[in-house]
Amino acid sequence: MNHEKQGENLMRTSFIARSRSLLFIVLLALTPLVSMAFEVQGDAANGKAIFNANCASCHKLDKKLVGPALGDVTERRELDWLVAWIKDNAALRASGDADAKAIFNEYNGLVMAAFPQLSDQDINDILAYTVEGNKPKVVVNGGGNNSPDPNTAASGDSNLVVLISLSVFLILLIFLLVKVKNTLKAVKGDPTSTLLEDSNFWTRTILRSKSFIILASIFVSVFLLREAYYGMMGVGLNAHYQPVQPIAFSHKIHAGDNKVDCNYCHSSARFSKHSGIPSTNVCMNCHMYIDGSEIQTETGELKYNGEKSPEIAKIYNAIGWDPENRSYIPDYEEKPVKWVRIHNLPDLAYFNHAQHVSAGQVECQTCHGPIQEMEEVYQYSPLTMGWCINCHRETEVQVESNGYYAELHAKLKEKYGDEPITVEKIGGLECGKCHY
Amino acid sequence: MAEVKKYWKGLEELKENSPIMDNLRQNEFASEMPVEDFLGNGEMLAGAQTSRRDFLKYLGFSTAAAALAACEAPIVESIPYVVKPDSVLPGVPNYYATTYYDGHDFASILVKTREGRPIKVDANREAPFNGSANARVQAAALSLYDNSRLKAPLKDGAEVIWSDILLEVKNKVANSKSTVLLSNTIVSPTMSSAVQQFASEHPNFRHVSYDAFSLSGKLDAWQTLTGRRALPLYDISKVGLIVSIGADFLSDYNGQSMTSDYSKARELSKDMARHIQFESVMSLSGSNADKRVRVKPSEQSQVLLAIYNEIAKAKGEATLSSPNLDAKLMKDATETAKELLSAKSSVVFIGGNRKDDEVICFGINKLLGNIDSTVLANRRSRLRSGDDSALSQLIADMNSGKIEVILLDSVNPVYNVPGFADALAKVEYKVSIAERLDETSSLSQIVLPMNHGFESWTDALPADGVLTIGQPLIRPLFNTMQREEILLAVMGVSAKYYDYLKNFWTGSILTAGMGWNQAVHDGYYKAELTETESGEQSYELAEDISTQLSASAKGISSLKSGGTEIAFYQKASMGVGVLSNNPWLQEMPDPLTRASWDNYLTISASQAKELGLENYNTSNGSLNGSKVDLTVNGVSLQGVPVYIQPGQTYGSVGLAIGYGRTLAGKAGNNVGVNAFMLIKDGMHSAADVRIEKSAAEDHEFACVQLHHTMMGRDIVREISLDTFLNKPAKANGEGWNERTTFETYEGALTSSEANLWKDFDHKTGHFWNLSIDLTKCIGCGACVIACHAENNVPVVGKDEVRRSRDMHWLRIDRYFSSDMNEEVAHESNIGAIDMFNAMEEPSESPEVVFQPVMCQHCNHAPCETVCPVAATTHSAEGLNHMAYNRCIGTRYCANNCPYKVRRFNWFLYHDNQDQFDVNYAMNDDLGKMVLNPDVTVRSRGVMEKCSMCIQRIQYGKLEAKKEGRPVEDGEIQTACAQACDTGAIRFGDANDTKSEIAKLKKDDRMYHLLDEVGTQPSVFYQTKVRNKA
Repeated sequence: MNHEKQGENLMRTSFIARSRSLLFIVLLALTPLVSMAFEVQGDAANGKAIFNANCASCHKLDKKLVGPALGDVTERRELDWLVAWIKDNAALRASGDADAKAIFNEYNGLVMAAFPQLSDQDINDILAYTVEGNKPKVVVNGGGNNSPDPNTAASGDSNLVVLISLSVFLILLIFLLVKVKNTLKAVKGDPTSTLLEDSNFWTRTILRSKSFIILASIFVSVFLLREAYYGMMGVGLNAHYQPVQPIAFSHKIHAGDNKVDCNYCHSSARFSKHSGIPSTNVCMNCHMYIDGSEIQTETGELKYNGEKSPEIAKIYNAIGWDPENRSYIPDYEEKPVKWVRIHNLPDLAYFNHAQHVSAGQVECQTCHGPIQEMEEVYQYSPLTMGWCINCHRETEVQVESNGYYAELHAKLKEKYGDEPITVEKIGGLECGKCHY
Repeated sequence: MAEVKKYWKGLEELKENSPIMDNLRQNEFASEMPVEDFLGNGEMLAGAQTSRRDFLKYLGFSTAAAALAACEAPIVESIPYVVKPDSVLPGVPNYYATTYYDGHDFASILVKTREGRPIKVDANREAPFNGSANARVQAAALSLYDNSRLKAPLKDGAEVIWSDILLEVKNKVANSKSTVLLSNTIVSPTMSSAVQQFASEHPNFRHVSYDAFSLSGKLDAWQTLTGRRALPLYDISKVGLIVSIGADFLSDYNGQSMTSDYSKARELSKDMARHIQFESVMSLSGSNADKRVRVKPSEQSQVLLAIYNEIAKAKGEATLSSPNLDAKLMKDATETAKELLSAKSSVVFIGGNRKDDEVICFGINKLLGNIDSTVLANRRSRLRSGDDSALSQLIADMNSGKIEVILLDSVNPVYNVPGFADALAKVEYKVSIAERLDETSSLSQIVLPMNHGFESWTDALPADGVLTIGQPLIRPLFNTMQREEILLAVMGVSAKYYDYLKNFWTGSILTAGMGWNQAVHDGYYKAELTETESGEQSYELAEDISTQLSASAKGISSLKSGGTEIAFYQKASMGVGVLSNNPWLQEMPDPLTRASWDNYLTISASQAKELGLENYNTSNGSLNGSKVDLTVNGVSLQGVPVYIQPGQTYGSVGLAIGYGRTLAGKAGNNVGVNAFMLIKDGMHSAADVRIEKSAAEDHEFACVQLHHTMMGRDIVREISLDTFLNKPAKANGEGWNERTTFETYEGALTSSEANLWKDFDHKTGHFWNLSIDLTKCIGCGACVIACHAENNVPVVGKDEVRRSRDMHWLRIDRYFSSDMNEEVAHESNIGAIDMFNAMEEPSESPEVVFQPVMCQHCNHAPCETVCPVAATTHSAEGLNHMAYNRCIGTRYCANNCPYKVRRFNWFLYHDNQDQFDVNYAMNDDLGKMVLNPDVTVRSRGVMEKCSMCIQRIQYGKLEAKKEGRPVEDGEIQTACAQACDTGAIRFGDANDTKSEIAKLKKDDRMYHLLDEVGTQPSVFYQTKVRNKA
């Protein structure tokens, strides 16, 4: 509820912002000194690539970010002026250009980087993209809400329909075949039997068979014992535990699609026993610029109608970032994010990330599974002692690359010859290594 | 908000703050079982209406409740910082240098913090002064998390707002006709200058300081001798002979920690310092002496005078009139004087607080040329400067109603100054700056709660030429204020103390070179020795002291002696009782009596016999003792327990101060008796003593050692310095450190050669070994508390200690010598049984040895072979591992352990407030903050023992691996080794041939405890060497 209301408020403010910029454009248009939009000759696709690589960290097409919105820049500025500004805005200001000074002052003297490496054609391409990219998109449905993917929902239903129709068909077939049999018998002159009589006969025969009953009971009891055994062994095991997190954070987007290094956020994994859940200020390193408004659905529509993502808004809410004014709210009472811990080792077991990540050079995925494919993280490994021990038996120690092992390695070689030096051989199965 | 899926839970867990779940978490048993109700009263039971159905109801409910408690699988939240401080890495400790001063103990320390919580105190070994942490300083980390600390300012018992109350007190002080600030010795240069300035501006204000265990008399002596009212520092690191007469200089002499210097002086060589002690109560120093002479407190002065006269005679100086001394004592005094005269360098200490004694002692040191070599007369210790005459004047003024306002600055005079309570009642306006609502602050209208030292900025000038800074390690836990800031506010200075302190330092102290940040980082600043600071008395060493000497000699001659005299002393665990509410300290066994949770009257065996007093063991082995009614200086204490102490002088008794608190908190309340009330004129002894056997029931001690002698075994090996220097350790069975051999068909074999077991490979990888030098160990117990803090060792309380269920992983066994040995028995034709019986009796004047014993980490461990579930196993690195969660509590291992170092969790010591309330480090949300997060808190029914700080070993190895280098020697330290000031405990990798431990392992003095058992421990001992004449 709250979020909807918040969304509404945001929409309203952005509407006001837009109507203001509209007014600004109208005013500009009335100024005789500024000509109307020029025709841009360029490749919008190439322009998009250059824009994303060089400009996107500070500019957006439809919205003010660090610098002004560029969607309608061709309508506001001359091409020559734009080329001069983009290549070296400081020189342009130094030349005494009034517009250049005005825009510099409007943004409180924030200096834009110079791009002397861009050719005129590159700039044309960029400008073409600003025109193309800014054309309003046709919005098919409301969007913005997290309605489940219709395809997956339908597939579940259709399976059921297929199964039901198949069983109806098979039952019909049985009836049909019985009818056929009876007809054939009737033709032959044999006494006919109904379906019920047939099945009764077979049931009686089977139930009277001692060997069948013995076999069946053995089968059932083995099955039950097996179930009971695995059921018991599973007590306290939380593999596939997948709690809902307070923020719908997707490792797939971050680690998978965008290939953010695990250590960027989980920075203490290399140094500490804890991998460390990133503090909110780490999120802000990127999300100061990325507010999710550009997220598209599979069909290429803007997922949140160009508004910032409600999930990313939760980060802003935690740390007190005001996306409109692009500043931290002073004296904000921080609201820490209460993540739900997924991997819960019991207190009696000591686990150290640094030991495995730094000393052991173990990939995160070895224990955490294909994390880069997980939309929502779940516990991949059983985290049982057997699982730990098994890995310690099989994994070879990074003896060659670590100076710590230099002397030890020589001695181990003497002792074990060419056998691989596994964790087990350096005492990795000893109780006290993990239990103290 | 998305709904959070919840798994595996009882229904009650859904509700926040569900009383049922809370209840289940809090109580060990799911519900109170009304067993007493329906089984307790037989009569009622016979006529009871409780039907079978009721019984089934109870049964059903408890089963259901137990089941509910068992299905707990809670959602665990992980809450990261919003903005993470750069210096904090969760899971990695930070260390900060700071200063500890609680009015009595002073130390430069390093504090380990984890995620912002101070959890462990270590000595700052780089600090130039008192870079050592004794047991009390080690335990200070727990006192920070004491829930009985004050949490808000109080006026007449009601909570008030800081700004209001400070303004009120400020105005009151500004307008009062006479205000007194009563404090302990103020060691902060910033504060003493602020107080001095305020006093100079306000004629109606006066500052009185006193020390709980007064040294005022000695200070007066130094004033007459040097013109400055300050005790000197001592340098005993290179001394050849230490003569201490009644001074426990290893515990507390002038505030200076002399333990590491003592150890340096007693390095083994032909120049090893010799230590002679004359004393009445067996003290820590006395127990370490090479020669110990029993004297009564009044005889101490006479012995001192006798020694002076002997030396004066030899030096051709005038002798002083002296009373007649007992012939035996005279002989000891003469011998000592001779030794002093022939020693290359020496020092003489005198205990107590008598001005005359100190003057004579100075005279001796002067004659021997010790001034400015071992007695640094020109370098002051500034930790004790209390003035008793000012205090008595204050009490008189208070009684006559002359004092309008009294500010009690973190002092507890109602507890430790006799007669203060009555005087305090006559003061109109009483303001206490206090940590807790103690005996004094509870009598004040206004109580201003102060920060713990770890929450405060402090500085100190503990000794000339040394300045230290203390930085806060955690934000104040409660609504308290920095003690200094309160005082400043009351004096009308409104400033953050940090700014005030920094200003003072940058303005007056940090003049050359060193910056403020560096000083805070190091925790100390070595200042140039200035001649005399402005406003201070100038130093002028008296050249001719003959008049003072003869006056003092006259004073000593007129001393009264009593039939029985009493000496007051400090216990290593409790000091003067500042940290009474610290259960770690309360449970720490006294090094000499091995009793915890108590003080008692120590008495010699022969005098006890005369008075019909006895100590005896009950059927379960625990110690009981008679009680006496004690009258000293006309003040009586009823029902004081008596402990028969070998080595106590006949005709003298001892009583420890620091006990008998009534408002300290749940751990410290009503433990022992308050000896402060018997002290008169700040004297540490009294001759007017009456002891009568009390009619009260016998006292129950919590004593952890029942046998006081080694009974002819060589548990602690001891030789004389002469033997060490001149005789071989191993010489075909004739040396002084031979291994026991067994005759076998293969000839004589040692226990490790005659061996059934397959040996572990200890050539590859690390081989962690611990060496304990019995010559260096002085028994102070700092390691015991360090171990407590590091390894989450539970406190079990007096009752459980009494049942021998103490949980200390590290104990310091103390053995007294016996008059009986095999030679004596042979000579006087005593049979074996009689001999062994006699061996059990400690000598009346015993020699003492201390032996720290922890798990010996046997490489052929008897415990490992008997564990039915392999919960205790051996490691390739020479450690004996203990997997708590595998343990099923058969206790076979403890029974099979020849060293008796395994500890069993008889109860749930954590989260069990009903039973183990005093163990607040584990039963209180606040107290739990002190726990080491790297060490499991053990549950009921499992065995535990020393792990050789495996968490530190693993951490140290990992640090090396992360940096890709081998582990350096000394990089990894066990908590006990790190805490040891004297360097008695040493830890390292014996496979690292360059390491100290590898050398120690090859040392001539090295032996394994109970070597003949063949356990091949990783812990070994170094034979004790006593410097016998």
